[in-house]
Amino acid sequence: MTTAKRHSNPFVGDGAGHTSPLKAAINYLLVCLLVIALFWVSLAMLGYTFDFSFVSQYRMRIAQGFLLTIEISAASLVASLALGTLVAAGRGSRILPLRYLCDLYVKLIRGTPLIMQIYLFFYIIGTAWGITDRVVAGILILSTFEAAYIAEIIRGSLLSIDETQRDAARAVGLTHAQTVRLVILPQMVARTLPALTGQFASIIKDSSLLSIIAVIEITQTMREISASNFKLFECYFLLGVLYLALTLPVAAIGRHFERRFDYAH
Amino acid sequence: MCHHNLADACDGKRTKEEDMTNSNSRSRTVRRARGHVASTLFVLLALASLVCASALTACAGSSSDSSSSASKSASGSSSKKTLVVAMELAYPPFETKTDSGEPDGVSVQFIKDFGEAYGYDVVIQNTAWDGLIPSLVTGQADCVISSMTITDERAQTVDFSEPYAVAQLAILANANSNISSIDDLNQPGKTVAVKTGSTGDTYATNNLTNATIVRLADESACVTEVSQGKADGFLYDQLTIYREQKSNSGTTKAVYIAFQDPEKWGIAVQKGNTELLGQLNEFIETSKTDGEYDKLTDKYLSEEKAAFDELGFKWFFDLS
Amino acid sequence: MRIELADLCKKFDGTSVLKGLDFDDDVTTLAIIGPSGGGKSTLLRILGGLTAPTSGTVRVDGETVSYDEATLPAYRAKLGFVFQQGGLFQHLSAVENIAMPLREVHGVEASAAEQTARELLDRFGLAEDAEKRPAQLSGGQQQRVAIARAVAGRPRLLLLDEPTSALDPAYTNDVLDMIDDLREDGMRFVIVTHEMGFARNACEKCAFLSQGRLLEYGESSKLFAHPSTPELRAFLDKLLEWR
Repeated sequence: MTTAKRHSNPFVGDGAGHTSPLKAAINYLLVCLLVIALFWVSLAMLGYTFDFSFVSQYRMRIAQGFLLTIEISAASLVASLALGTLVAAGRGSRILPLRYLCDLYVKLIRGTPLIMQIYLFFYIIGTAWGITDRVVAGILILSTFEAAYIAEIIRGSLLSIDETQRDAARAVGLTHAQTVRLVILPQMVARTLPALTGQFASIIKDSSLLSIIAVIEITQTMREISASNFKLFECYFLLGVLYLALTLPVAAIGRHFERRFDYAH
Repeated sequence: MCHHNLADACDGKRTKEEDMTNSNSRSRTVRRARGHVASTLFVLLALASLVCASALTACAGSSSDSSSSASKSASGSSSKKTLVVAMELAYPPFETKTDSGEPDGVSVQFIKDFGEAYGYDVVIQNTAWDGLIPSLVTGQADCVISSMTITDERAQTVDFSEPYAVAQLAILANANSNISSIDDLNQPGKTVAVKTGSTGDTYATNNLTNATIVRLADESACVTEVSQGKADGFLYDQLTIYREQKSNSGTTKAVYIAFQDPEKWGIAVQKGNTELLGQLNEFIETSKTDGEYDKLTDKYLSEEKAAFDELGFKWFFDLS
Repeated sequence: MRIELADLCKKFDGTSVLKGLDFDDDVTTLAIIGPSGGGKSTLLRILGGLTAPTSGTVRVDGETVSYDEATLPAYRAKLGFVFQQGGLFQHLSAVENIAMPLREVHGVEASAAEQTARELLDRFGLAEDAEKRPAQLSGGQQQRVAIARAVAGRPRLLLLDEPTSALDPAYTNDVLDMIDDLREDGMRFVIVTHEMGFARNACEKCAFLSQGRLLEYGESSKLFAHPSTPELRAFLDKLLEWR
């Protein structure tokens, strides 16, 4: 009754989710090659050939910048998770000034661009309060920015838990503390982890903006290199590859979490 | 009583939930998982191989084929040819905007006058500093006039006209610092702010090896760093330092002692565009004598000329 | 089990849902029937300690139920409650759904709790589904696991809030059969239901609630055969319309 005939066309799948991994990989590679070919042809039309010889010359700086990007992203992830959780909790607080402070924070931070926040926080608040180390300031600013988004993710996942789950917890005799520990938190973790992974990928990319206060992560490194060798395209292309090397694994982890916690279907 | 038979036997009435209990679901998920991992690897491999391939095959450099597309717009056959000029409109009074957002300034006026004299329709393209030379290389612009210093490094990628103006680097220092010469900046523990890619950047990178160099994209950020004391000095041209020091008189001071040979500004064109280059050089030459430079000075730089005369600096258009 | 209700009232945002219920009787198997919005679920939730009444008292086996969160968990632990849908913990497997309350609320040791859970599932033909999560079970299976969970702690009373109303008709009988099974074992229960056949034949007594008032109460067979109030008569007539 089901597929008696397997499709012999290598480009056609068998319907949602039944494609063999070999077929999937070959077709994916084909699409990637097509995109690469598009760029190659465009470059040829402009009479431009890529010259990546600078990579070996600047490999130390590139490696250092790449490492700093990873460090900043990791530190910001931890800090923004902590702050985001506090803010999410604060938004449900009964102490009104606290609740409204958290609410205002989320609205302002989510409603303004990061580039503006970096300039204002570094040159005004950072200077006034004596935070002179650019990397430290950069991590603080980035964490403050991302925490607002994480707070919303956490709040959203908390709200998405069906009221009946809480009802059922009470009905079996669990106390409030037990309900939170055994029912609410596990379900929240399941809901937030995939979204948090996405947020981590955002942190990695957003860290590139810290270049405007001369934090010498990988984007700033590439800007400096391209300013002296004028190979703008090669530099930014390599920059893209380096970011992909970070974000693609994160995306894969996100998908893994999605599958692992996908018990709502 | 045995109930599980009843629960599962509902021919023709399989609900969505019943389908999910299909024992194939787990293996399907695993297969999908393997497919995703494989595809991610392939993307990375493909990109990596592209980068390697380009690095291996690049020998002739990037400028060899550019002459074919050189005169795309500068030698069109219609009555009035278009001259696409790229500049960064963030450098008053040379390259700036009017209140209504139109390009204006010394360079703008200069190139427009050139266009009139040689029959070009001038189109100004506001481009970020980093992108000026790349826009010439790709043929997006025909020339770049943006207070750009002629350097050997840049001359490898583009062709420069004869110098049309001359400038000198100066230091904007924090008012409380003890900076009175360039050597004071070249000490361990000192921070020097520069605009990325400017001649100040090049000078600092090559010569101020003991200091920490902070490269920023905006001139205003550099000035802020100095006035806040985050940087001890900002290397930029005399005129800008003069103006910035005046607007930040409480927190900054200017050091004008020359520490290098004067810089010569040139108009950049795509390598091999000899026709346009010849025309530009002709125009620059005549401007020295026919009053073009005087006109520009009077219109845009009268105050500055007075200040320069007072301080004893060589004037921009004094190309002697 | 003796249940006494004295002038029980419940208001939600100014709207009166229960308007002074009085009741005093022993309960073995009781069906609560009536038109929608009549207050049946609210009454059941009050009995189960999930909602506090606005005024009036509830006494179970001579003890007044005090509706404060300090004592309610203990009260609820001695009851079993089955919701209409979505009552199972989504993140736990069927066996964990049953074992977790045994461990955390009734203090049963972990391996004993799991064993009890598996035995229950086994008894009701759900052994194959023990490791499945609720989303992987059909509606009927979910409700049966929910009932198993509710009785695992040997409650003194089982409360069921329209357990079959959200089900595909094909599963309804499985669930009702299971409740009947439990009845034969001696389980006491109060069920809010629209399954009149079940109310009439499987439940000893029946209470008819309409618009927040207890209009009729008595032995099920008598109630259905000879409804005395016009409201109940109209209600039953309407039900028979589509038989």
